[in-house]
Amino acid sequence: MSALDEHTIIISPVGVFDPKLLAAIGPAIRRTYQTGSQMVPLLDDIDFAFDPERSQYCSTPVLTKLSATAPKWAFKVLALVEQDLFIPILTHVFGEAQLGGKAAIVSTARLYDKLSRPPDLDTFIKRTIKEILHELGHTFNLHHCRDHNCIMHYSNCIADVDRRSDQLCRYCRILLADEIKRLTQQ
Amino acid sequence: MGSTKVLIVDDELIMRESLGDWLEQDGCHVEKACSGSEALDLLKNARFDIMLLDIKMEGMSGLEVLKRVKGSEPDMAIVMITAYASVSTAIEAMKNGACDYLLKPFDPSELSLLIEKIIDSQAQASENLYLREEFKEKTRFESMIGQSGPMQTIFNLIADIAPTDSTALITGETGTGKGLAAKAIHSQSPRSQGPFVSFNCGAIPEQLVESELFGHQKGAFTDARETRKGRLEMARGGTLFLDEIGEISMRMQIDLLRVLEDRVFFRVGGTQPIEADFRIIAATNKNLAEAIKARFFREDLFYRLNVISFEMPPLRRRKEDIPLLAKHFLFQFSRETNRPVRTISRDAMDEMMLYDWPGNIRELENAIERAVVIGKEKQLMPHDLPIFHPDHIQHASGDSIREMEKNHIKYILDKNQWNIAGSSKILKIDRSTLYSKIKSYKLQKPA
Repeated sequence: MSALDEHTIIISPVGVFDPKLLAAIGPAIRRTYQTGSQMVPLLDDIDFAFDPERSQYCSTPVLTKLSATAPKWAFKVLALVEQDLFIPILTHVFGEAQLGGKAAIVSTARLYDKLSRPPDLDTFIKRTIKEILHELGHTFNLHHCRDHNCIMHYSNCIADVDRRSDQLCRYCRILLADEIKRLTQQ
Repeated sequence: MGSTKVLIVDDELIMRESLGDWLEQDGCHVEKACSGSEALDLLKNARFDIMLLDIKMEGMSGLEVLKRVKGSEPDMAIVMITAYASVSTAIEAMKNGACDYLLKPFDPSELSLLIEKIIDSQAQASENLYLREEFKEKTRFESMIGQSGPMQTIFNLIADIAPTDSTALITGETGTGKGLAAKAIHSQSPRSQGPFVSFNCGAIPEQLVESELFGHQKGAFTDARETRKGRLEMARGGTLFLDEIGEISMRMQIDLLRVLEDRVFFRVGGTQPIEADFRIIAATNKNLAEAIKARFFREDLFYRLNVISFEMPPLRRRKEDIPLLAKHFLFQFSRETNRPVRTISRDAMDEMMLYDWPGNIRELENAIERAVVIGKEKQLMPHDLPIFHPDHIQHASGDSIREMEKNHIKYILDKNQWNIAGSSKILKIDRSTLYSKIKSYKLQKPA
């Protein structure tokens, strides 16, 4: 039994996702962060974050709303969306998280192979899981990592996502353990 | 990017916040300013590696901030950012010292690559600066050599203390290899990827030591025309080796103690604290306990430095290492000078083993270097080693230091058929100095 067993991470899908993807998220979170997870729809949509000038959705207000909407028992909360996300200074992001905070968001908009017909579902699931683990890592206070194989390595493009593994490197595992120790002592 | 300090200057809150969050996730330490004047205020009390500076701002423009900051912080990389595409503004900014230019919003990969490029080039510049300084000192680092019991103990000790970040004090006579031991500790430590910066406290006039160690801000004193990094700053992330620590003045001892206690320091004339991110290894051939009693050395600094200490054994206490060291130096110098001497004769080795080497490894190294230069045969012979020649001692003797020097120079010149280049190398003075001494002592080449 891990120190975080009594904690639960909420995954909040906004929209409809393949059941195979949703079924793969829980085990991946358990394997990486030793904690349980639940699917709880918290937001009907993210239209409030739409920017008509950019035709994209700003991820930051979604995080604020997620934090406010999440039940108190939720340890962390992550929204999974299909819309293309941005933060004002960048053209796009795969996701965003509150560093050392509660909320995170991941977009699947740029995780498809546009030329792949039919879409390669397994690859898409792997990518989405990696992005979910990466953004949740930030909520555990993990920064971007220099190790190219580490899940916390920053991805600029889809090729970077494919290149890195779905595991934390030894260094990030130690930092995660430190953070978990800190959280459980609070 | 662990300790990279970034200052974001943008009058739009949302831009500052989103860029700040992104960089913090990248492990950067971020501070934000909403105007040029706020940025200048922040810079009075803090240092940054990178400034991301918006060109178009209310009040003081980004270009104005750039011009003001570049004068006092030449090493800080300034990247101009703007929502307005203007090639002429970009050119003006680059002319004034900006290192790059980005148009909002950035592609994440573009920003990521730029930050990485800046960090790499700053690390390279720091390393180059150090290498230039090191080259000036003509320091020759060799791997430590020794099979003797005392040296095996030293190797084990180094292996034990290298992984710690504790301050170390190395004692021992001149020429015993204290600098090599410090370098060995550094190369086996977690800081091995960082620079190894050495500073000889006894080699520099006292009035220059402060600026050499701490660096100075432009205008700090009459000759400070440019802001200059000191050894402490150059050692960031690595090891600072303070050789001959016993020679340092009381004033500098107080400054060093402050660095060790507070882990921050200031450039001369600077007001911004700089983090002391290095390990200190100090060395001395003096008895610091006696220096403390005589009030030449501060006791509190001694205890700060003396966290781990060990003594490098003199060569006379590890004579079994002499053959190994001698062969090593012979190989090195014969290769460097392309001279024919390849082996050491048994008689020469016997004499070397009998000698006590008061100057330790450095004396042995110099003796072999000289022997290689003047040696005519394939084997190094006893007469190639100057220290064993009674006639040399006779020639070099005299009533005054001046007379001794004159006789010694004449002896070396005669021995080398008045070859100025070869003689100056043996005497370890440059050719112009040798010429002036020949003139001053009125020495004449035999007919």
